[in-house]
Amino acid sequence: MNQGLRLGRPVAGTLAVAGYVIMIVPILFVVATAFTAGSTLRFPPEGLSLRWFGEALAYSPFMEAVVSSLELAVLATALALVLGVPVTLAIHRGRVPGKGLLEGLFLSPLVVPELVVGLALYQQLMIGLHLDNFTTLLLGHTALLLPYAVRVTGASLALADPALEEAARGLGASPLRAFLTVTLPMLRPGLISAGLLGFVTSFNNVPLSLLLQTRDFRTLPVTMLDYVQQSYDPMVAAASTLVLAATVVVAVVAERTVGFAKIFGGINR
Amino acid sequence: MGFLLPAVAMLFAPPGVTFAQVIERMGAMLTDPYDLGIIWRTVRIGLVVTAVCVVLGFPIASLLARSQSRWAGVLLALAIFPLLLSNVVRTFGWLVVLGSNGVIGQLLTGLGLVEKAPQLLYTELAIVLGLVQLFLPLAVITCYSAVAQVDPGLDEAARGLGASRTRSFWTILVPLSLPGVVVAATLVFAGSVTAYTTPYLLGGSGQRMLSTQLFSYASVTVDWAAASATAIVMTVLVFLVSGISALVGRKGATS
Repeated sequence: MNQGLRLGRPVAGTLAVAGYVIMIVPILFVVATAFTAGSTLRFPPEGLSLRWFGEALAYSPFMEAVVSSLELAVLATALALVLGVPVTLAIHRGRVPGKGLLEGLFLSPLVVPELVVGLALYQQLMIGLHLDNFTTLLLGHTALLLPYAVRVTGASLALADPALEEAARGLGASPLRAFLTVTLPMLRPGLISAGLLGFVTSFNNVPLSLLLQTRDFRTLPVTMLDYVQQSYDPMVAAASTLVLAATVVVAVVAERTVGFAKIFGGINR
Repeated sequence: MGFLLPAVAMLFAPPGVTFAQVIERMGAMLTDPYDLGIIWRTVRIGLVVTAVCVVLGFPIASLLARSQSRWAGVLLALAIFPLLLSNVVRTFGWLVVLGSNGVIGQLLTGLGLVEKAPQLLYTELAIVLGLVQLFLPLAVITCYSAVAQVDPGLDEAARGLGASRTRSFWTILVPLSLPGVVVAATLVFAGSVTAYTTPYLLGGSGQRMLSTQLFSYASVTVDWAAASATAIVMTVLVFLVSGISALVGRKGATS
């Protein structure tokens, strides 16, 4: 395709093409089958129609789950930011005791499998303490997003000069005023990044949410998963295509605000 | 999620089950051929997926990080984009590709190469493909950061001194970005051995992994001791591999 990318590196180029095929091509086939007029997941599709999009939008379990997932993702992201920003400030700016412990808790690479966390929350909170599943999901998702919030806002705070806040204080600003007028604007890119990353992570989550579903409150990915297992028709392809379209919108918003690669890849280009 | 460790500790005391029963179930699991088979399948798939992701991801990362082309930014975005997309949507694509009426089956029968479409879905191969699709973007961005940190002047110096492109790749780029590759491999392995969506949709009931087994203990048979025991095995597996890779990474950094 391009001299700089391909020529002279036949082995690397071939492997790279294979990688892109595996990453992207199955997604394209989902879109192609969503427009079928037939009633099976057959390829090539039997005729063109928008029928399955209509069915997906009229299927109430999906629509209720979209609302539930949005509600959960927005609340969990907001909570994670509200709790995460003070932790970030304590780690980067504070002279608080136990700073090492905070860093260890929030920035350690130790990863507990999400499915396992879901099981523990189910056993202890829903069965043990009789919490309802929305509260349990909200707690779980907030806990899941908190390290992202601390890490991503921390990265933008690390770039900001602490002398600016000191200057504001030296010129007579109260601590609150210094925070609101100096620190918070510097945190803005970090807050946007952490917010978008958190929202997407929560909205798409399966393993943590899986065991925490009830008939009254179900999230979209788990509802779709159940549907696929039961019936093999193109409605999920249509629903998937709609999710894909929404994801593209999120990606464009991310690119316009802070930069797509920076937010989701952690890459400063 | 280090602060969730207390939650993991609670796994040893699920509702209505004693600590001793969990330990006993875990002992039974580690001697039972069926359970051991599931553990081994999980580890085997994790290792294969990790190897494939590094072998495909590193070349993508090194080509993109070293390219001056305008297209490199677009291709990088294309590699990152799947990370935002729901795993259910991405995995569903393989049902369309590998299913009995799917793309590959129709292609092979249409061309008259085979009588009947081969069984591709609900095999270990399907799980591996699905997991590679899921975790390759993670491998690419992690390797990309590692490659981008290696001074391009070093490649040029090696080339200037007469090293071939292949030689400078293996003697400069690979060793210097190795710590990043180890991180990428760890993330992919940990993700693969704990993923649920992929083995559930593409493996079916014949290709159980620890995650699907855990779900069925917790949700279908409601056997808390077995669910806890499976969860503990899975967590230990992930911690063990993270620990080993941290050691390898530290050794690589000092030597």
